[in-house]
Amino acid sequence: MADSYRLKNGMVLLGERMEVQSVSFQFLLPAGAALLPRGRAGSAYVISDWMFRGAGGRTSRQLVEAIDSLGIHHSESVHTYQLALSASLEAGNLARALELFADVILRPAFDPLQFVPSLQLAINDLKGLDDDPRQKVMMRLAEQFYPDPLGRPVMGTMEELESLTAETAAAIAARFYDPSQIIFSIGGSYDFDTVCRQMERLFENPGTPGIKDIQPAPTGSRYTHDQNEGAQVHIGLMTPVPPIASDVYYELLAAVAILSGSMSSRLFTEVREKRGLCYAVGAKYRSLKEHAGISCYAGTTPDKAQETLDVTIDQFRKLRLGISEDELQRAKVGLKTSLIMQTESTGARAGGIAADYFLLGHVREPEEIREKIEALSVPRVLEVLNRYPFEEFTVVTIGPRQVNV
Amino acid sequence: MMEFKHRQLKNGLTVIGEVNPAAQSAAVGFFVRTGSRDETPEVSGVSHFLEHMLFKGTERLSALDVNEAFDRLGAKFNAFTSEENTVFYAAVLPEYLPAVSQLWLELMRPSLRDDDFNIEKHVILEEIAMYRDMPQYEVMDQGRALHFGIHPCGNSVLGSDDSIKAMTAQQMRAYFQQRYAPNNMVLACCGRFDFDQLCELAEAHSSAWKPVEAQRRLFDFEGTFQVRHVQNPNLARHHICLLGPAVSMQDPRRYAASLLASIVGDDTGSRYYWALTETALAETAVMQCESMDGTGAFYSYFSCDPKNAEKVIETVKSVYKDLAETGLPASEIEAARNKILTSLTLKCEQPMGRLVSLGFNWVYNHQYRSVQNDVDDVKSVRRQEIQEMIALKLGRFTQFSLGPLPA
Repeated sequence: MADSYRLKNGMVLLGERMEVQSVSFQFLLPAGAALLPRGRAGSAYVISDWMFRGAGGRTSRQLVEAIDSLGIHHSESVHTYQLALSASLEAGNLARALELFADVILRPAFDPLQFVPSLQLAINDLKGLDDDPRQKVMMRLAEQFYPDPLGRPVMGTMEELESLTAETAAAIAARFYDPSQIIFSIGGSYDFDTVCRQMERLFENPGTPGIKDIQPAPTGSRYTHDQNEGAQVHIGLMTPVPPIASDVYYELLAAVAILSGSMSSRLFTEVREKRGLCYAVGAKYRSLKEHAGISCYAGTTPDKAQETLDVTIDQFRKLRLGISEDELQRAKVGLKTSLIMQTESTGARAGGIAADYFLLGHVREPEEIREKIEALSVPRVLEVLNRYPFEEFTVVTIGPRQVNV
Repeated sequence: MMEFKHRQLKNGLTVIGEVNPAAQSAAVGFFVRTGSRDETPEVSGVSHFLEHMLFKGTERLSALDVNEAFDRLGAKFNAFTSEENTVFYAAVLPEYLPAVSQLWLELMRPSLRDDDFNIEKHVILEEIAMYRDMPQYEVMDQGRALHFGIHPCGNSVLGSDDSIKAMTAQQMRAYFQQRYAPNNMVLACCGRFDFDQLCELAEAHSSAWKPVEAQRRLFDFEGTFQVRHVQNPNLARHHICLLGPAVSMQDPRRYAASLLASIVGDDTGSRYYWALTETALAETAVMQCESMDGTGAFYSYFSCDPKNAEKVIETVKSVYKDLAETGLPASEIEAARNKILTSLTLKCEQPMGRLVSLGFNWVYNHQYRSVQNDVDDVKSVRRQEIQEMIALKLGRFTQFSLGPLPA
């Protein structure tokens, strides 16, 4: 059983112990791009850099030196609903690391002088996205596919960033600390009682009500093209399916595995192995709380772009016409192996249990998942595919040539 | 506890293993000592192309058979090619380790059919095109070629459109005969598995493999120290690659070199970080030490606004000057040390994380190094050694850049 505890202020602590020397933890703060005020979608991205520029009475340099001296590897990322602060380290330094992160979350300096470079870095990253069309096409795809504001780009737009001031950003950040909406998770070598006692002490501050409700509005266009004189046409496409909490989740996972889980999957075989259309092609199941889709990326030179799109969509549509026992069996073994390997990585485990809790309201035990995978059958997967056929696609391309959708 | 095992088969194939009975999985890989530095210009890119072709099957197995066989075992498998190594690996649940090892053993004698070769050529050309749209890779690739000049470590791993289009399956088969000899390969395994059983499998499936003396020219090369810029109006940012001399994989100073790379160019708290990233002069500013066979290089990569390009280079020069003229504070060395030690600990979480270190230590130095050996060596580096590394290696560099503006 996973460890679980709720602090007096409402913050949820989750944990899973592993026989390793290391430990990873993650704070999910209710500060995802979709929750931010309209016109401020990039603010959490800026704030996630700014909050590490001094905290708890330490200057920017003192804080970074304190984190580095413990050998902490950390990263910050903004998602749809949350800002994730993640860290991995040697288990012996855990208590000191938690103290530093409590300072970052509760007592950031938010020095206006330090805001300027944080904002500039975000602007640079947004401009740099033009030099990474593969990442950009998938961001544009989420923006078009999900009902607004769920697909908002985490870096925001240039206008949004340029109009952001230190004062506005600090006011937005003041609403991030709502313990009733914060999830803390930990994986690896730790003592849960000790962690709970320390967290109770560090986070006794009751916080302020954060940002809660978002009202999704209609989705974007069916086809979007960005002209770019690069070497390849980068294709992103996505088709809607039920989210992770639905009762067809495992059937969908199996369907995606058959479509794209590995090298004997349909997309790899038909697009790359038989036709040599692409180097990179692959699909993934992506789920938010109430919306989900299967997204797919393919990159190819302009002359092959139309055929690549056609063959790819054809493979999506054909899946419900039939799958073999052998295909499903391979998908099951692949899914089970991934599951067990995730339980070996402290970072993957800390992230996984927090995501489960947020999306499902509880942490799934590996055994529960394994049983669900075992129980999958060909008729059941086909029945789900026929109930939710892959027919409607949102398509985005970036490159020298458009395609016909 | 982990236990090291080692055996050399009659045909020269080395089998090594780090057995960890507590692991949930196992990882196995073939390390072939061949890469772009071992190619002649006519077959530029053949090592990497050949890596792809290994998956196309044998006399007995078609490409689809191969992929299905791996997937039936739930294997997380792939391969990579560098300037000097071609590595094939798979991570599986322990019960599938013998089967996946047997599959790799079979694949090491591929049939290299003409029709597979001709289709896969398209995939390789797409891969080359893909990297052209990734300036952060393109700049390193071209930077390496400029830095190494006549030294074979400058050879492109992917090759060019022209070299790939002109290549024949016959040329590839000849290259294969020279390089995939059992005495030029190491079979390595980590995690929960039976070493004796692995050796028996290897013995049974490789008995017909004939040893060949695979040559490699080894010599150190400091670099050409040239400066070049290529304008690409399609780019938004300015991408810079700097390469300077470092130390080889055989050089015991490589631990001091990796500490220095972390002090100078880790992505947080380093000299580059304070001078460039914290000030937002560049959004990326990192340095790594790459130790290779008989030579080595410090690689730095920066991306910034095109109008800041000159200022970034000036700042880097002053970072180097500062390091050369003033002593390193103990706290800075300690932070770099702890960050590297965390990386070593995290790598131990999964057998797959250990496999590459295990394999490379053998390929380069015929040596087993436990995690504890690495930890001890990182801990024992003295300030004086890092200072010497600064004096000896830092300051002179080759500079290559890509960006929207002219030089």
